[in-house]
Parts: sequence; C-alpha cells; structure tokens
Amino acid sequence: MRWAIISNVKIIVIDDDKLVRNFLVTTLEYSVNRDILTFDNGFSAWVYINKPEPLDLIFSDANIPEIDGIKLLSQIKKKYPKKKYILMSGNPAHEKIANQLGADAFLAKPFTVYDIFDIVQKFVVEGESTT
Amino acid sequence: MQKFGAHTHNIREMDMDDIFLSRLKLLVIMAKAFLDGCPLGENRCRAILENARHMESEAVILGSLLSKFKQDSISTGAMDFDHLFYQRVKLLAAMVKAFAQAHPLGSHRRKSLQDNLDIICRIMMFKGEFVRRQFLEVA
Repeated sequence: MRWAIISNVKIIVIDDDKLVRNFLVTTLEYSVNRDILTFDNGFSAWVYINKPEPLDLIFSDANIPEIDGIKLLSQIKKKYPKKKYILMSGNPAHEKIANQLGADAFLAKPFTVYDIFDIVQKFVVEGESTT
Repeated sequence: MQKFGAHTHNIREMDMDDIFLSRLKLLVIMAKAFLDGCPLGENRCRAILENARHMESEAVILGSLLSKFKQDSISTGAMDFDHLFYQRVKLLAAMVKAFAQAHPLGSHRRKSLQDNLDIICRIMMFKGEFVRRQFLEVA
C-alpha cells in the first residue's frame, strides 16, 4: 500500500467570515496536521505573502476587505506565479474570472469536508504545491 | 483550473446550517478515523477539540431553542426527536473531546462511541460516504 506523505506544507486562509474561515481552518489542520495561518483581509495577507517565508497554498474568499480576493489573485499570480491560489466564492460569476486570472482552483460555496479533502489530496499529497 | 464544491447552479454563500452539517460530518469522520486507529498529533488534536467544542455549543444552542419552543406550545413527537438528536450530537462531541485529550477509552466506551456514531449516521443518512483518506493515516 502506498502511504500518503504530508510534507511540511504551509497553508494560509483569507476570509473575513469567521464561521466559514474557522470551519475551513479546522478541516485543513485536521487533514494535514500542520498549523494554518489565517487573515481576515487581503492587505494583511499580501504583506505576509511578500515576506521571504515558504508558502505553498493560499485559500482566499473573493469578498474580503482591503484587497479583495480577485485583485489579490491577480497580484499574486503576477509576482509569484508558482504559488498555488484557490479562490472561494458564493458567486458563480467568479469562476470564469478566477480561470482567466490563473487561479489553480475554484472552490464554489457551499463546500463540504470532502471538497477540502479532495483539495488536500490534489495539492498537498500529490505534490502539486510548490513554494 | 480545477473546480471543487457546489455545482454552478447551486452556488451561493454558506449559511449556519451548511456549517453545522459540515462540521457534524467532520466530527463523525474524526471519530471514525480514531476508532480505525488513525494517528493523532498535536495539530490534529487541536482541530478535533475545536470542532468538538463548536459542535457542543451549537447543539446546546439549538437544543435550548427547541426547549423554549416546547414551553410555549404543545410538545410533539417530532420536537422530542430533534431534542434527542441534538443531545446525541452533544454526546458525540464530549466523546470526541475525551479521546483527543487522551482520556482512557476501554471496550465499553468504544462501543458507546460506535453506537452513537451509527445512530447519528442513520438519522442524517450518512451512508458509505466515509471513504478513508490516506493522508489521515499519517501524522
């Protein structure tokens, strides 16, 4: 049996909706058994992302204050094209925009535990995340 | 770009019911994984405790809302059923907290945990969804 190996992955979650953010963080923390960093606005997240710290995976809601998730996606993909960005939204129109801007995944709300597990499988276990 | 989550025609913002149901499924997965011998670890324990505490308080809030409603009207079988369900969720949360805090289990508690899980899964019609994920088998 091939064992799944979880690397020392660094994940951040950006969402100002505390209920959704906490649920996502709990599920991710349980899945990968690592600390998850959180932000409730795009500006603080952008400041952190610009630090020379390893960062593998970014989950961001589209509607966040300061710098919204779509603008943040655009900025990150221009400056750090290898960082993996997953845009979350309850607006179907954001899917096309996310695709155009180079998002690695679109997480449509409402999402479930299994959707998060699938993302962990794809981007963490199968080694598609890179710094 | 990969897509996850709701189908396009079902996309909407998440509400409290979505969160409650998802967290309940996560609680069930956490309990089943533990019973199956999946390893814990510091972060995992913290996540388990956070989820269990959240569900415990949500179950109390929902249960007390039902109790208040009961006082104001004639009790029906359906409301008693709901009340019992929320008590079972609260019990599951307490059971999950116990193993996350490394309290001793024993065969009777293990059976009680399994029985409570089975009943909750039956009520919620969680059937065969809990396919084991390999990444839960490593810490």
